[in-house]
Amino acid sequence: MPEPIRTILAKHSREPDELIPVLQDVQKEYGYISAESVRGISKYLRISENTIYGVSSFYAQFRFTEPGRHSVKVCLGTACHVRGGATLLEMLERGLGIHCGETTEDKRFGLDRVACLGCCALSPVVQIDKEIYSRVTVNKLTEQLKEYE
Amino acid sequence: MNKLKKKINLAKKKWEEFVDNREPIIYVGAASCGRAAGALDLLSDINRFIEENRVKAKVVEVGCIGPCYLEPLVDVKMPGEPRVSYNNVTAKTLQNILKAHFQEGIPFAKAAIGHFGTNSYHDIPRFYELPMLKPQVRIVLRNCGLINPEDIDQYLAVDGYQGLMKALQMPPDDVIGVVRQAGLRGRGGAGFPTFKKWTVCRNAPGEQKYLICNADEGDPGAFMNRSLIESDPHAVLEGMLIAAYAIGASKGIIYIRAEYPLAIERLKTAIAQMREYGLLGTKILGSNFNFDIKIKEGAGAFVCGEETALIGSIEGKRGMPKSRPPFPAISGLHGCPTIINNVETMGTLPNILRNGAEWYTKYGKEGNRGTKTFSLVGKIRRPGLIEVQLGTPLREIIFDIGGGVQKTFKAIQTGGPSGGCLSEEFLDLPVDYESLASVGSIMGSGGLIVMDEDTCIVDVAKYFLDFTQKESCGKCVPCRVGTRHMVELLDKITHGEGTADDLLSLRNLGDTIKKGALCGLGQTAPNPVLTTLRYFRNEYLEHIKDQRCRAAVCKDLIEYRVIKEKCTGCQSCVRVCPTGAITGPRSEPHNLDVTKCIKCRSCYEICRFDAIAGDAIVIRTAEKRS
Amino acid sequence: MTREKKLKVTIDSRELEVRPNTTILQAARESDVYIPSLCTLEHLPSYGACRLCIVEVDGLRGYPTSCTTPIEEGMVIRTDTTELRSLRQEILKLLLSEHPASCLFCEEHDECKEFQGTIRKVGVTTGCRYCPNDARCELQEITEKVGLTETSYPVYYRGFSVEKYDPFYDRDYNLCILCGRCVRVCNSVRLNGTLSFKQRGKLTTIGPAFDRTHLEAGCEFCGACVSVCPTGALSAKVSKWYGKPDTQVTTTCVYCPVGCRLELQVKNNEVIDVLPNYDSPIDRGLICVKGRFAIPEYVLSPERLGTPSRLTPVGYEVISWDQAIDEAAKRLRGTKPEDKLVMVSPQLSNEDLFVAQQFTREVLGSDAVISSMMIDLGDDLVPFLELVTSSSTFDTIEDARGVLAVGFDSTYGYSPVGIRIKKAGREGALLVTLGACDSNLDMLSETAFQMEPPQWAEFLGSLVDYLARGGKGKVKIRKEWTSDIERISRIFSDSSTNILVIGQEAIFSSGRREIFEKARTLRDKLGWKIIVAHPYTNLLGMLAMGAFPGAKPGEFLKNGDAVTVDLPVIDLAKRKKVVYLIGEGRFDTIPDCDYLIYQNGLPPVASRQPDLILPASLFTESSGTTTNGEGRVLKIEKATEPFMDAKPDWWIFNRIAEKLNKGKLKYKDVAAVQAAIKKQVKGFYGGRKPVEFARINAERATKWLRGAPKQEGQSSGAGNNPSYRGIPLARVVAGMKAIDEWVNTSLLSDKEAQ
Repeated sequence: MPEPIRTILAKHSREPDELIPVLQDVQKEYGYISAESVRGISKYLRISENTIYGVSSFYAQFRFTEPGRHSVKVCLGTACHVRGGATLLEMLERGLGIHCGETTEDKRFGLDRVACLGCCALSPVVQIDKEIYSRVTVNKLTEQLKEYE
Repeated sequence: MNKLKKKINLAKKKWEEFVDNREPIIYVGAASCGRAAGALDLLSDINRFIEENRVKAKVVEVGCIGPCYLEPLVDVKMPGEPRVSYNNVTAKTLQNILKAHFQEGIPFAKAAIGHFGTNSYHDIPRFYELPMLKPQVRIVLRNCGLINPEDIDQYLAVDGYQGLMKALQMPPDDVIGVVRQAGLRGRGGAGFPTFKKWTVCRNAPGEQKYLICNADEGDPGAFMNRSLIESDPHAVLEGMLIAAYAIGASKGIIYIRAEYPLAIERLKTAIAQMREYGLLGTKILGSNFNFDIKIKEGAGAFVCGEETALIGSIEGKRGMPKSRPPFPAISGLHGCPTIINNVETMGTLPNILRNGAEWYTKYGKEGNRGTKTFSLVGKIRRPGLIEVQLGTPLREIIFDIGGGVQKTFKAIQTGGPSGGCLSEEFLDLPVDYESLASVGSIMGSGGLIVMDEDTCIVDVAKYFLDFTQKESCGKCVPCRVGTRHMVELLDKITHGEGTADDLLSLRNLGDTIKKGALCGLGQTAPNPVLTTLRYFRNEYLEHIKDQRCRAAVCKDLIEYRVIKEKCTGCQSCVRVCPTGAITGPRSEPHNLDVTKCIKCRSCYEICRFDAIAGDAIVIRTAEKRS
Repeated sequence: MTREKKLKVTIDSRELEVRPNTTILQAARESDVYIPSLCTLEHLPSYGACRLCIVEVDGLRGYPTSCTTPIEEGMVIRTDTTELRSLRQEILKLLLSEHPASCLFCEEHDECKEFQGTIRKVGVTTGCRYCPNDARCELQEITEKVGLTETSYPVYYRGFSVEKYDPFYDRDYNLCILCGRCVRVCNSVRLNGTLSFKQRGKLTTIGPAFDRTHLEAGCEFCGACVSVCPTGALSAKVSKWYGKPDTQVTTTCVYCPVGCRLELQVKNNEVIDVLPNYDSPIDRGLICVKGRFAIPEYVLSPERLGTPSRLTPVGYEVISWDQAIDEAAKRLRGTKPEDKLVMVSPQLSNEDLFVAQQFTREVLGSDAVISSMMIDLGDDLVPFLELVTSSSTFDTIEDARGVLAVGFDSTYGYSPVGIRIKKAGREGALLVTLGACDSNLDMLSETAFQMEPPQWAEFLGSLVDYLARGGKGKVKIRKEWTSDIERISRIFSDSSTNILVIGQEAIFSSGRREIFEKARTLRDKLGWKIIVAHPYTNLLGMLAMGAFPGAKPGEFLKNGDAVTVDLPVIDLAKRKKVVYLIGEGRFDTIPDCDYLIYQNGLPPVASRQPDLILPASLFTESSGTTTNGEGRVLKIEKATEPFMDAKPDWWIFNRIAEKLNKGKLKYKDVAAVQAAIKKQVKGFYGGRKPVEFARINAERATKWLRGAPKQEGQSSGAGNNPSYRGIPLARVVAGMKAIDEWVNTSLLSDKEAQ
C-alpha cells in the first residue's frame, strides 16, 4: 500500500462511517480515486471494493481518472443559469474540446459543473482552482483561462 | 457556568475596548461572496496602506452583512466616529477612502453607502435606513457582518451563549416547551413544528441519540446557510447545543457541503474555541450535559438534503432515501433516535431562548412565527441575503428590499427545485408556509429567484427538472424515469417541436411523480413545471404553436442579427466568432451568416461591453418555421 | 415459545388478525390479499423502489409502500382503490419505458406465443425473442395483474452490450429494472459485496467496481442474483432458453459434506437448473457455485457413460449388461481375497456404500474396501477421523463470539459455513484468519495472518499454548507474533463460544498432524468447537456403513466405548489381480493390477485404460440418502431417469453377486437396502438429529499405508479441485474450468507480485 494512503487511513477509525471522509482525503491527496486506493481502503475499512466504488460513484465529488492541472468548475445554480451559466459551459466545452467531467488531453484543464457555489448574487460565477470569478462573460472567461498554464 | 460568566465579562470588556476604539478599525466583508468580488485583494491593499503610511488601525475580516450587490464592502470606523460602509470598492476607491479617513480625517462620503451611527453624519444615510435593510427584521442574521466570526469573544460580547445558559437552567422538557410556545417551525423547507419532532425523539427509547445539523444547502440559488455559518458560526453551534440538550443527544454532526470550504474552516475554528471555553465535552458549563460535535463534509449529492439519505451518507453509504416510517426521530443514524434540523433553525434557537418565546411570537403571524432568511437573486436590482418576518408580502421583498426588477417583472421562483414559479398576480401573497403551498409552491429553504422578461419560463422549468433529474438518486421508478420523460418533453418544447398533448403528458407525469415518488425530492420535483403550466401556460403554447420564445432564450427559436444601421464595422465580433459566421471589412457593417451561427453569445457580449457601437448585435425571436 | 399477540387491522374493509412485526405487504399476503410488487422478496431487506405496492392507509399521508410500512394495531388499509389502480398503471408504464416490452405489447403477441417453440430454433437475433426469461418473467406477470395493456411512453433503450464473458451467467442490463434484488442478495444475504449500484439517477447501473468482470471482482458465482432477478437481465447460461420447468425435485447436494438442499428444476427428463431453498435449516439457501451451476452440465455431459463396454485389442466394445455382469463375475471369481481391492468414493450414497461393503465382505470375502480419501490422509488418517467424527454442527457458528479459520476459503465451496462465519464477524465476533494468501473471509476479519502453510502449525501451537496457560508463565512465541497472539488470545479468552474451522488448505498442509493435535487440545482443554471443512461428502456415511476396512456397519456409532481403529496394513506397491473402482476416478492412488473394473458416470482420464466399464447412474438419477459433515442423514431424491443404460451402484453389485451365486444380496430397491441398514445400524435413520459417533482413540494411530504414491502438489489438495466421483468438475463444467484457470492465474500473479 502506498505510504500516503497508509497515512490517511491511520487518521481514521475502521468504522464504515469513515468511508466518505477517507475517500475525500484520498481525493485531496491524489486528485482522484484510483483502483489501488480503493483496494487499500477496502482492506482497512472491511468494505468490498465494489461497494466502495458504488458509494463513491454516487457522489459528484469523486472522480476516477487523473484530474487536470487546473480544475474549472462552472456554476449552474439557478441564478447563474438565468444569467447565462449554461452558455459559459458550452463555450468551455467547445473551447477546450472536452465534455463536462473530462480532462483535456494535455491535462491542463479538467472541466466540471457544480450545482451552486453559493455566490448567487454575483452570478454567473466560474471557479478555477480555488479562485471564484464573478459576473463572468464568455469573453472575460476566455481571457482568464490564458492565465492558467 | 461561573467560569464562562467570567469569560463573558472579560469578553465584554474587550468588546467595549474594541468598539470604543482608541484605534481605527477597518472591516472587510470576507465571506465567500465578498471574496469572489475581490475582498482578499482589498485586504492586502489595506494592509499595505497601513504599513506604508505607518497608520495605526485594526483590520477585521467580518462575514456577510447581506447586500451582496454592494460587494466588496469595506467599512471604516475612526475613534469616536460612527462606522462608515463603502460599497463596490475598487482598488482605486479604496485608496481614496483610506486617504480621506487617515490623512484628511473625514469620510469619503462620495463612495459611502451608509453609516452605523445614530445621528446624521456627513450626509451619509444610516445603513439600516437603506431601503434594502429598513424593512428587514434581523434576528438570525443579527451578528452577520458585524462581528468577527473567528473570535468567540466577540460572539460572547454580543450576548452569545446566553440562550444556552438559560436552557441549561431548565429541564429539557421546558426547553421544548419554550420552542413550542415560540411556534418555531423547521426552516429546512417543510415547516414541520420543531417541538413536535423533538418530543418524539426525546421520548423515543434509546441510550444514544444524535443531533444532526443539516448544512447541505443544495438548492441552486440559495446561500443563506453558507452566509450564516461564515458570518456567525457560533450562533449555529449554540443552537445545536440547545437542541441537543432538549432531545438528550450526546453526539452532534454538522453535515455540510464540501463546496463551502470557508464555512467549514470557520466551523472548525469555532468548535476549537468552544472546546477551549468548556462549551463542548463532558459536563458542559458545570451541568450534566455532555455533547460533542463532528463535521462531516457532503460529497456532492443534492438528495442528501433529504433526512434518510443524509443519514445514509453519514453512515458511508450511497445517499439513497429510505421510506418512512420509521422516522429518523425514532430510528435514524445507526438505528438510534436522531433529530435533523436545518442551519437556520439552529441559528434561531439561541435568540428564542435568550429573549423568551413571547418575544419571538411578536414577529410573524399566527402559525408562522418569527423571521425567515432568503437569498434574493436573479434579475433583481439589489440581490442579497435578507431576513424578513414571515407573512411579508412578495411585493415588499421584491420591490422595497430588492429594489425591483431590472426590466419587467415576470415571475418569482420560491423554494428552489422543489418550489414553484409565481406570476405577477401573486405579488401580494404573504410569504408564509401555507400561503405558498396553497398556490402550488413551497417555502423551501429560502431561495427567491426573480425573473424578468428576458427569462424564458419553459427554459426555467426545464432547468429545474433537469437539475432534479440529474440529482435523482435513481432508486424509485417515478422519480428516476418520470423526471427523465418530463425533461425530454420540455426539451422538445424548447426546440419548438412540442405538441399540445405534451402539456397533458407533463401534467400526468407530474401528478404520478408527486404521488408515487419515494422521497421529498421526487415528490416535489414536478412543482416548477406544474406551477408554470398553471400560471404561464401561454408561454408554453407560444413555444408549441408559434415556435416562439418571447424571452429569446431557447436557442432553436432565436437568431442573432447585426443591425446594419448601428454597426460601425469595428471587427471585434469578427475576431471572437468561433465559427466565422460574421464577416465584413473594417468600417463597414458586418454580415452574420445565420447558418453558421452557433449562438454562443460571444459577439453579443463583445458588442455590448467592448465594441464602440454597443448594441449592434441583437438576439431576437426567430421567424416562425414553416 | 410465547405466542405473539395478533393485531387487528382492516384491509379492504375486511377485518383481519395479523402477526405483529410484519409489514403491510407481508400481512396482506398472509391474508391472501394480492398487492403487486417487484422489488420486494422474502429473505431480502425491504427496499421500496418499484412503488407498485403502494396502498392507502388512514392517517398516513400520501401513498405509502406496503413493503416498507410496519403494520400497526387498528390500521385501516385500502389496497385496491381506483386511484391506486391508475397510479400503479402509470408507475408501471414508467418502469416499462426503461425495459424493452415487445413481449408484452407487441401486436403479434398472441400469435408469437403460439409459435414460440419454433422461433427458439431460429437464431435469437432474428426474432424478437431477445429475452431469455420469457414466460418466467415477473414483470410479465405483474403487467397482467395490474391490467396494463399499452404504454404511451417512448422506451429508453440503454444500448449496453450483453455481458457474456463470465462463467455460468450472462447479464443483459438493458432488461434491468434496478429493483436492487441482486444487490441486496449479494450484500445482505451472501455478504459478498460483488454487486453494487453504480452512478446515480438515470445513469444508475449494477455491477462490480471499475467495469471489472465478476471473476475479477471476487464473485462466488453462487447465482443468488440470477435466482432473484425478476426479469431476464440475469440468466444462467445453461438454462436460459428452457422456459418453465416441468417439475421441481428437492434433493441434497453430494458435491461436499455440507449437504445443501437443492431444488432441481426438471424439464423433459433433464435437470435444467438448480435453485437454493432458503428454508433449509442446514444451508439456509446459501448454496455455492457447485450446487447452483455445476450439476446440469455434469449429469448431461456428452461424455456420460451410457452402456457397459469392455476393452479389446482394438478398443472398447459395447456389450450388454448381461455380458458385462458375466465378465465381472468371471474376473472376480476364484481370486484370493488379498488379490482383490475395492475402492469406493465417499460421494456415494449411504445405501450404495452399505451394499458396496456388503459386496466386498460377503461376496468377495475381503475386508479391503478402501477409498482414495484414506490414501490422501495416509498415516494422519486416524487423527483426522477423530476430529471429523466430533465436528460441531454448522449452526454453532451463529452463536460464536470468536472464530479462527485456518486455511479456509469459502469462495467456491462451503458457503453455508463461510457465510455464517462472515455473519458472526459482522455481528461483532472476533474473526481471525490464518492462510497463505487472501481468503474471502478476510474482508470481515479482525486480523488476517498470512504465512506459508508450514508455519500454520507453529502459529496455532503458540496460540494454543498461550491460551492454555491463560497468559501466565512463559510461552515460547516468535517475536513477530507475540503482540498479535497476546491481543487475540485476550479476546478469545473472554469469548463464551469459540470455533476453530480447519479448511482444506490446512488438511492438505504438511503440518496437518500438529494442527489436528492442537485442535484436539482446543476442544478438550479449552472447550472450543471444531469444524473440519473437508471435501469428502459422505465420509461419515462411509464410516457408519462400515465401508471402511476393519469396521463393520454401525461400529463407528456411539454406543458407550471409544473406538480404536485397527487398520489392516495396505500395500499399494503390491500388484493386485483385480481392482474394482466405484466412483473413483483418481488413478494416482490405484495399485497396479491385471484387471480393472471401472464403475462410474464419466470416463477417467488416465494412462491405464479400464478393462471393463460399468455405467453408473448419478445422484440426480437414483434415490437414497447421504450423511453430511454434521452427521445428519439427508435424502437424495431421484429427479430423472438414469442416462441411457446407466444403473445405480447398488443394482450393479446386486447383479454381480447374483451371478457369483452368493445369494446374499437380493435387494429389490433402495427401500430394501434401507431396511437392511436399519437392522444393522441402529437408529441411523433416526430423524433430524445428527448421528452420533463414538470417540475415536486418536493416540493409537498406526502406520498402515505402504507403497503410497508420492502425491505432488498435495498442499493445494482436492479442495481447490472439486470433483464428483473422482472427476474434477472443471473437466466437464465449462464455468468451473474458467474459475479454475482464473484461480491459477491470479495465484500466479500474486506470487509474482510478492
